Amino acid sequence: MNLDWSVVWQYRGALAEGALMTVVLSLATMVVAIPGGILLALMRLSRSRIASTASACFVEFFRNLPILLLVYWAYYVMPVALDLRLSGFVTGLVALSLNVSAYNAETFRAGIGSLRKGQMEAAMALGMSRWQAMREVILPQASRRVLPVLASTWVSLFKDTSLVSVIAVGELAYTAMRIRSQTFRVLEMLTAMAAIYWALGYPQAKLTDWLNRRFGVTE
Amino acid sequence: MDLDLTSITDNWRYLANGLGLTLLLSLATVAGSLVVGGAVGLARCYGPAWLRWPLVFYIDSMRAIPVLVVLVWSYFALPIVTGWSLPPFWAAFVALTLHIAAYVAEIVRAGITSIRPGQTRAALALGMSRRQAVIQIVLPQTIIRMLPAFGSIISIAIKDTAIAAVIAVPEYMKQSETVAGQTFRPIEVFTCAMLVYFLILFPVTRLIDMAYLRVAHLGRS
Repeated sequence: MNLDWSVVWQYRGALAEGALMTVVLSLATMVVAIPGGILLALMRLSRSRIASTASACFVEFFRNLPILLLVYWAYYVMPVALDLRLSGFVTGLVALSLNVSAYNAETFRAGIGSLRKGQMEAAMALGMSRWQAMREVILPQASRRVLPVLASTWVSLFKDTSLVSVIAVGELAYTAMRIRSQTFRVLEMLTAMAAIYWALGYPQAKLTDWLNRRFGVTE
Repeated sequence: MDLDLTSITDNWRYLANGLGLTLLLSLATVAGSLVVGGAVGLARCYGPAWLRWPLVFYIDSMRAIPVLVVLVWSYFALPIVTGWSLPPFWAAFVALTLHIAAYVAEIVRAGITSIRPGQTRAALALGMSRRQAVIQIVLPQTIIRMLPAFGSIISIAIKDTAIAAVIAVPEYMKQSETVAGQTFRPIEVFTCAMLVYFLILFPVTRLIDMAYLRVAHLGRS
């Protein structure tokens, strides 16, 4: 077994770009999925039967699908069904956002649900509208409780972006596997890929633990 | 857009074989990760102190590395290191088990720490050995409290088996890809796959939740 680790250093630029793409894709997904999750949670909790059923169906459906399948579906089916032409990045973004929005919706719903009913009633007794009470009383408190869960979702999302590599989006996993097939340095590249993910993900996992201790609600 | 379901009906046997393998791989993964994760979680809580930090390191590393990376590594890189190569199915089993066991270990630890320490102390005060206290007092409550989390582990395992398609395990995802490619009917095939996965996953999560509601009172203390 002869190993040549210099290949990792040689391709450092491409790997760094891939890692950057992974971060950008995760960020972009969260930017879509947090408002998406809030919207779905508010729909679920609204008094309109239609809105709440629609939100429940969306959440249950997209929570119960493998992300890889969503990625394929967004790649092969969505452009034809909706007559759209999207880049690989946007396709991946759509697939991940559908999944993460569904998870975030449940997170926000649980966060809002964890506040006692009296808070809403008190706010309304003070003359606030339902929407005002939601915005000024409920959501600020819920967001604190939601933070640790969102952090866990973020860590999962960060890892799940690797699945977008199957539709040739140039993030870290795709880049590393492409270099692997160009150089035939299989062990070196795959280990480097794992090490980079580890170096990026480990601090995030630890930060999540800290957020959980700091903000987590224990009964 | 015209739909043509013959791509699915003509290949139903091929797809059904894939589905069978998906279920088999899920079952094996769940069983494997319960055993490994249970052992790791228990060792972390009750094991010797020197064992603790390697276990924490293992758990946190698995939380940081994507399952795809573990999978690809164990299929392509492990043979280079060890000299023996695993067939795709077993590589997937090993990788998924390694990955999910870390989550199971965290669930076990969370379950054990959720039982108030006073209970163990009371058991010890009654003259039970430490082993007896764990087996007869702590674990029975822990297992019930862990049920909802195990439900999500099963659902995660089934979803993650789809990733095994990347190393060409002929499970349902891979078979769907093949059929979609051969018949040029990705819309029908992938939409069908969505329904199939949903119809498996949704009842599983619901059944576990319902089972939990029936036994939840046993876990209260």
